[in-house]
Amino acid sequence: MREKLEQFRAYLFLIPGLFFLMLFTYLPILWSSWLSFNRWNLLSPKPKFAGWENFIELWHHDVFWLIMKNTFFFVSISIFPTMFLALVFAIMIDERLKGRVYYIYSFFYPTLIPMAAAAMLWVYIYSPNLGILNILLAKLGLPKLGWLGSSATSLWALIIMTFWKNLGFFMLIYLAGLQNVNRELYEAAYIDGAGWWRRHISITFPLVGPTSLFVLVTAIILTFRVFDQIHLMTEGGPGNSSNVIVYYIFENGFKFFDWGRATSLTTILVCILLTLTLIIFGIFGKRITYTAD
Amino acid sequence: MRRTTVFIILLALIFAFASIASAKTKLRFFYPVGVAGPLVKVINGMVAEFEKENPNIDIQPVYAGNYNQTMQKVQTAVLGGNPPDIAVVEISELFSLMQMDALIPLDNYIAQEGGQKYLDNFYKGFLGNAYGRDGKIYGFPFQRSTPILYWNKDMFQAAGDKLKAAGLDPNRPPKNWDELVKYAEILTIREGNQTKQYGLIIPGGWNDWIFEAFSRQNRSQLIKEDGLTVTFDSPENLEALNLWVKLMQDLKVCPVLRPWNITPDDFIGGVTAMMYYSTGGMAKIRKTAKFNWSAAFQPAGKQYGTPVGGGDFHIFKGIPKENQDAAWKFAKFMTTPKMAAHWSIESGYVAVNKNSYDLPEMKAFLQQFPQMTVARDQLNYAYPKMMAVNYQLIRNAMTTNLDAALEGKKPPQEALTDAHKLMEKAIKGK
Repeated sequence: MREKLEQFRAYLFLIPGLFFLMLFTYLPILWSSWLSFNRWNLLSPKPKFAGWENFIELWHHDVFWLIMKNTFFFVSISIFPTMFLALVFAIMIDERLKGRVYYIYSFFYPTLIPMAAAAMLWVYIYSPNLGILNILLAKLGLPKLGWLGSSATSLWALIIMTFWKNLGFFMLIYLAGLQNVNRELYEAAYIDGAGWWRRHISITFPLVGPTSLFVLVTAIILTFRVFDQIHLMTEGGPGNSSNVIVYYIFENGFKFFDWGRATSLTTILVCILLTLTLIIFGIFGKRITYTAD
Repeated sequence: MRRTTVFIILLALIFAFASIASAKTKLRFFYPVGVAGPLVKVINGMVAEFEKENPNIDIQPVYAGNYNQTMQKVQTAVLGGNPPDIAVVEISELFSLMQMDALIPLDNYIAQEGGQKYLDNFYKGFLGNAYGRDGKIYGFPFQRSTPILYWNKDMFQAAGDKLKAAGLDPNRPPKNWDELVKYAEILTIREGNQTKQYGLIIPGGWNDWIFEAFSRQNRSQLIKEDGLTVTFDSPENLEALNLWVKLMQDLKVCPVLRPWNITPDDFIGGVTAMMYYSTGGMAKIRKTAKFNWSAAFQPAGKQYGTPVGGGDFHIFKGIPKENQDAAWKFAKFMTTPKMAAHWSIESGYVAVNKNSYDLPEMKAFLQQFPQMTVARDQLNYAYPKMMAVNYQLIRNAMTTNLDAALEGKKPPQEALTDAHKLMEKAIKGK
């Protein structure tokens, strides 16, 4: 009887948290999923059930496939350079190599400044005639690029800027993960004649496995969700060349007021992310070496 | 002890009620800055002066980004049941706001001020985008503009010999499309494979607005005044788009898709000899350009022509009557001759109130900077800007296809046809 009372009180304490979780997470997910099967836009002000229509329309919509291509391109190009360099720089900082203070500051400060400030900064860096990037290119005898104003380079411009912004964040996570690697292993390897690369490939890389898995999943999810820089730097243009899925959802929801399409896009995004996470954990989850503490 | 406490509480309550009774009317004012320039400070200054003259009205000006972002903010607020009291949005958005039943008509307020006689104080060209389909007036002009042609006098002089050899006058800008091409070609300077100086910049971002200007110059239009009939794909518009593609792709005298907001920087930085831009960016150029420059009507096609541009005041439904009255007071204040003149001088926008141009400070200013009269005079050739429901979607269709044609990714005719189809779809609903 006493136990039942205890349990009841426990549930009672959980109710406020559950209330907010329902209100801001679960209910919106359900409501949004329901809306994705409805037609609801500025010209039909009440949601009307439409079955799979939204999804079928998206399947046949060129812009949708362009957006998906852009998003997957963005993610796949950014992930491995980011992870690799984040780990390398974390190692360099951890090993107290010369000039590490310089590395720490120059790689971490981009992460500290707000994305909006960084975006404004890079708009000027990318300015075709007056920005320093093109001035540098010209000095090197290379042709100036259109950067944000050209559909060939706009996505790359965003990728580079995002890489610059996020590197420090992942570097910090790796730095924390490196603390769990036993220093004696390095010493043993050094005595056995292993060089810097060998040591890190055979010791560090396997042992930061759990951290790598975390960084991989976080980086994928974060990159899938990029929004601020697109909104502030290109608004998806020119011609949707730098439009990615979250920005497209925003456009459909808040510019074009097509809630049916916006919610169906959201449902698609959630399914993609769930699938990816399951795949990643499936492939890598079992192969991660966990050191005994 | 107990009685003192009760007494103090009662006093506090009385003060609280008293302050509520004499509470100020608080207004939220969303506004955009759609051109380059530090205009937030100017707005804040004007709001402060209004509050000085009206101590029982408190205005919270909210800078909401550019025209797109401001409209999104307003739309979201309206649909969320929490509209601002007064806002400035881009004029083409009127039909969308009316679709949402978001605005109150201003006819009664205007009648109180003197009806048509009061409206006659304002330029007719700017009132064209203020009327809803029911004939009532739902907006009031505030920051109004037209695109104009800015030209760098020094660069024209530097190319004087070449221009004269081609039979062109280096002391004036091009008057029509043919001259535009000729001047731009001569004024473009290349070194190797780098372009050191462009003859002309037609910026991206709001290239649909500039395209509407070229359309009007060729005696066509993009959407008819009813906001329902699309005329985007017309032979005259094809001529205009072909001209643009010729300038950007064939002759390469104009860079492709320069971002809208930094185009004045390019002009100021000596990257181009001519530039199409809103008159609203003139203050920044006036204050920072270190060379001789002037402004002129956009070169004529078959005629001079231009849409107007900018933003109007709108007062929203769903707010208390006293807020609406206070909002009207504010709109009236901001468009008095003195305030309209101040806003025009500080920004480059046209003063919406005709009487502003009779004020001594305006006359003195125009003596120094006659370029400021160009947009106002171009009003004689101006048409209302295109308006339609779901304008953001329509604009997206136009800019995406214009951008594709200008980058050489789509033939111009295909771009016009595709945009035309999308625009019709947006108006009719899926």
